[in-house]
Amino acid sequence: MSVLGLLTTGSDVLTVSDRDRILQAMADCCARSGYPETTVKDVLERAGVERESFTIHFSGKEDCALAALNKMVSESLARLSMASSKSEEALERRKFEGQAFLELLASRPSFANLAFIESRQCGSKRMHDAYESAARVLALMMERLGADGSGPSADSRAALGAAEAVIRRELATGRAARLPELLPDFVYAVLVPFVGQREALRQARLAARMAAEEE
Amino acid sequence: MDAQRRDCLLRAMLKELVGKGYGDASAEAAREAAGVSAAEFEAEFSGKDDCLFVAYDRITENVVRRASAECDQAEPWPERVRLGLERLLWAVAEHPEMAQALTRSFPGIRPAAYERYVALLSRFVPFMREGREYSGVEEELPGEVELLAVGAAEAIIFSEVDAGRAERLPQMLPEILFSVLVPFMGPDRAADEMRSAAISS
Repeated sequence: MSVLGLLTTGSDVLTVSDRDRILQAMADCCARSGYPETTVKDVLERAGVERESFTIHFSGKEDCALAALNKMVSESLARLSMASSKSEEALERRKFEGQAFLELLASRPSFANLAFIESRQCGSKRMHDAYESAARVLALMMERLGADGSGPSADSRAALGAAEAVIRRELATGRAARLPELLPDFVYAVLVPFVGQREALRQARLAARMAAEEE
Repeated sequence: MDAQRRDCLLRAMLKELVGKGYGDASAEAAREAAGVSAAEFEAEFSGKDDCLFVAYDRITENVVRRASAECDQAEPWPERVRLGLERLLWAVAEHPEMAQALTRSFPGIRPAAYERYVALLSRFVPFMREGREYSGVEEELPGEVELLAVGAAEAIIFSEVDAGRAERLPQMLPEILFSVLVPFMGPDRAADEMRSAAISS
């Protein structure tokens, strides 16, 4: 189908659908072969779209991978925001946010791989910067739990790193579907430096109940 | 090929990877740097990839062995963690290029290489198990607490190495130790250990 055809028919739905197919294909190809070995040709074949459609949306491979990463970051922040509105209480909110986040990762394993592994490792500065920005946002969210409202940044980065290690292991070993079961570990990791061990353990127990109810 | 030149070749291969990226890293250049002939190389490795994977396994084996040697001493668990961590941070600070290869360049090659990195982190998990008993709340701790502790340290080490500040890591021992101990002991007890580490170092 020609670019001109797409534009003159006014079929916005079709163009949006092509873009989404390309982003999904980019995430899938990176999960299978890694970003460095993924080519635009691989992505086009997987997406089943013409090169013309790719060039309408993206200037190249890095631009496309960055768009896929940003899509995952945006969706994550939207889910976190929705989950956060479920409770007025800060610690309760953290459990809802963790649950929503892990469920999103489990349902989008290729995008999760792009966000947590490829963007950090692949050697693209733009991808790495985007990962660092997203990680800073999450770390800042955690710092708000500090007793004085301003926990030290090394603590929040380490707490996030603790949770990330478990997420990355599950993604790298093809067990993304198991992530929601790890909600108690996730909640404990992000709370313990800020609220103390006794409270973090209590919240982890509540998270375990929440995860069990979801199954 | 004797052990010394083999070790030299493996390190040269990882340096090629860091310096040029995977696509341009050359087994021939690594061979020449190590004084290894093509025939000697071909007798041991099927190609660049094979050499890189063997290099990664070999160097990470050394890293784990050096760090764990300190953990085996008959000291209280937090002190052994401090000693092992201190050794690890000095090794990273003294060999920043190799640290870059082990944490960033090699794992980024492709998923199979990243799995090696995940396996490397998992090798530190057994050294954390005693922390569960030491915690006093063994049964209540989450199932993944050992990996949480390893991941906390990895996040700080990775970001310093990646930012070209590996030489700073030994001075960061107290805060990294705090991050490793806090999942087992909570922030108050971990802070006590952090202060002791600051005095010791």
